[in-house]
Amino acid sequence: MARVYFEHVTKRFGKVLALDDFHLEVTDQEFLVLVGPSGCGKSTALRLLAGLESITEGSIYIGDRKVNHVPSKDRDIAMVFQSYALYPHMTVFDNIAFGLRLRKTPKEEIKKRVTQAAELLGVAPLLTRKPGQLSGGQRQRVAVARAIVREPAVFLLDEPLSNLDAKLRVNTRAEISKLHHRLGTTFIYVTHDQVEAMTMATRIAVMNEGIIQQVGTPQELYERPGNIFVAGFIGSPSMNLFEVELKSDDGRLLLDSGPFQIGVPADRADELARCARKHLVLGVRPENIHDAAFQPAGISAAPLTAKVEVTELMGNEVFLHLTAGDYRFLARVDPRTNARADQDLSLVVDTDRMHVFDPESELALCQDDAGSAPGESGAAATPSEDVAASRAEGNSAR
Amino acid sequence: MSAVPDSSRSLAAVLEEPVVPEKLSERIARRVARGPLHAVIIVVCLIWMVPWFGLLVSSFRPKADIASTGWWTAFNPPFQFTLQNYADVLAAQGLARGFLNSLIIAVPATLITMFVAALAAYAFSWMRIPGRNLLFLVVVGLLVVPIQMTLIPVLRIFAGLNLTGTFLGVWLAHTAYGLPFAIFLLRNFFVALPKDLLESAFLEGASHFKAFFRIVLPLSVPSLAALGIFQFLWLWNDLLVALVYLGGSRQVAPLTVSISNLVSSFGSEWHLLTAAAFVSMILPLIVFFALQRYFVQGILAGAVKG
Repeated sequence: MARVYFEHVTKRFGKVLALDDFHLEVTDQEFLVLVGPSGCGKSTALRLLAGLESITEGSIYIGDRKVNHVPSKDRDIAMVFQSYALYPHMTVFDNIAFGLRLRKTPKEEIKKRVTQAAELLGVAPLLTRKPGQLSGGQRQRVAVARAIVREPAVFLLDEPLSNLDAKLRVNTRAEISKLHHRLGTTFIYVTHDQVEAMTMATRIAVMNEGIIQQVGTPQELYERPGNIFVAGFIGSPSMNLFEVELKSDDGRLLLDSGPFQIGVPADRADELARCARKHLVLGVRPENIHDAAFQPAGISAAPLTAKVEVTELMGNEVFLHLTAGDYRFLARVDPRTNARADQDLSLVVDTDRMHVFDPESELALCQDDAGSAPGESGAAATPSEDVAASRAEGNSAR
Repeated sequence: MSAVPDSSRSLAAVLEEPVVPEKLSERIARRVARGPLHAVIIVVCLIWMVPWFGLLVSSFRPKADIASTGWWTAFNPPFQFTLQNYADVLAAQGLARGFLNSLIIAVPATLITMFVAALAAYAFSWMRIPGRNLLFLVVVGLLVVPIQMTLIPVLRIFAGLNLTGTFLGVWLAHTAYGLPFAIFLLRNFFVALPKDLLESAFLEGASHFKAFFRIVLPLSVPSLAALGIFQFLWLWNDLLVALVYLGGSRQVAPLTVSISNLVSSFGSEWHLLTAAAFVSMILPLIVFFALQRYFVQGILAGAVKG
């Protein structure tokens, strides 16, 4: 068990900047997920921690020990690779026992620990088989068993569910979470799938273009995205974004997108007026747009009319693909909706849950309420003050 | 979400597909389409095989018959075949000693080459060495250096070290001449091994030495076998290097040198020469047929990333 600390780490591959001032603390026993699109640097961060790549600038600590120049084998970490990296010429037993044998563990001890790990992961009946005789899910379990058998201080997982089918992925997600609780070890998990991040993490670091965009609990990231990138990346379906103009109509503030206007509630008007710019980006999650006929009680509703393009019944909800002017957006509405394709539909937007961003910096505005922009707020979602968060220069991609 | 297909599932899906029996007309059309190709292959094989077969038949015919009639007449009565030719070349002409010397030269030199090349190929593939690619380029560049250029300088060095006429000298020479290609072949195979396997081994606590012996070597058996066949066949058939560094002494001369001497001394003794040719061919044939599966794999080794 150990904390992991990335201290202003930078990694360059030739002229390509893979990680830019990566500054993050992972506390002991935490399940931290690094999430972001392909090429955002998340796997590079993991490989730097594993010692599989060298650091260009900065330092990495495991526990209190600086490990910049410590070989991989001496870092007391284990890693599950996306490809599982099982040795095809060895049996499952030999695969799991590989690390223990290299450490000259006594034979009886190896047998005991391999059996325990195999039983924990449900691969005990497969110990005499070779990887080629296993299914994808079984291989994944063997890879995890091989990682846990050494009882490492830090457990790294690099997209371990990517090669599994959708159903198996859901089951394995839950099992990895259970494993984390049972082992009480620090887990650092890399994925590009925000659903995996949201369901498993105690904390998430969202990355883009080598920069941490925001760090926080899944709830914090979902409810208070610090910038447009995080707002669009976290949540499925993703947040609807509209370019709006802040206007005043008889002393009342309006967000005018062209085809529709949304009145700013009184309790948010002051904040918006205080930090307001004329042009803004409005973010509304699909579940905060309701069919007006089934409007939940007690919300601050702003009306909106849009044309229904497609309806998708999901059972417990309906996805409406809507258009209003040049905007296409999505709403998750009550399954009792009478919306039909090609019809105009009256909707309401829950203005208490809308997000407003500065289009230039792409950071969330009025952070006291609408979300904390990393870097400006002192990284609200991180456990220690110096940990970080990200650059607030607004260089995230939309 | 990544969409790397699970190979076992794809295979299962393929197996579950209903097998549609091929219609007779389709089968005939397929065979007719391939007919010319098969005909060409058969003709080429025959062109290659006829002289070889003639040599084989001649090696079992009495000296007088070889001198008077063609080999194809051997199948007309009376069928006169003899093993005397083989007895003569092996015993009287010293080919048995040559056979043994060839083994003494080829087996250790092949093993040494394979071992050294495997170590070098591992380093070129998986170790962080400054100028690694340049060094590899230099090694591969040595492939184009003609062996004849090296004979005199190396012979002078060997003479100074008293290595001329010794098996050790010829082992070293063969290893050095074989290494550029061997390293090239193995490096291309090693570098195509999944990176994750090696990285996983390092994380588990393996040193380069252990990763080499416990991961890379067991996974590289096909390429090593292919290299072994190539190298063994080259060494077995080598005349030049043996002649230059070992000399013509019967005590150390390999089969090729012995046969060469035989040609000089008994150029007209066809019954001996044909038998000697077959003695020299037996072992390579056995090696080739025993390991032909690896041979084909090895030719493709490193050609495509698997």
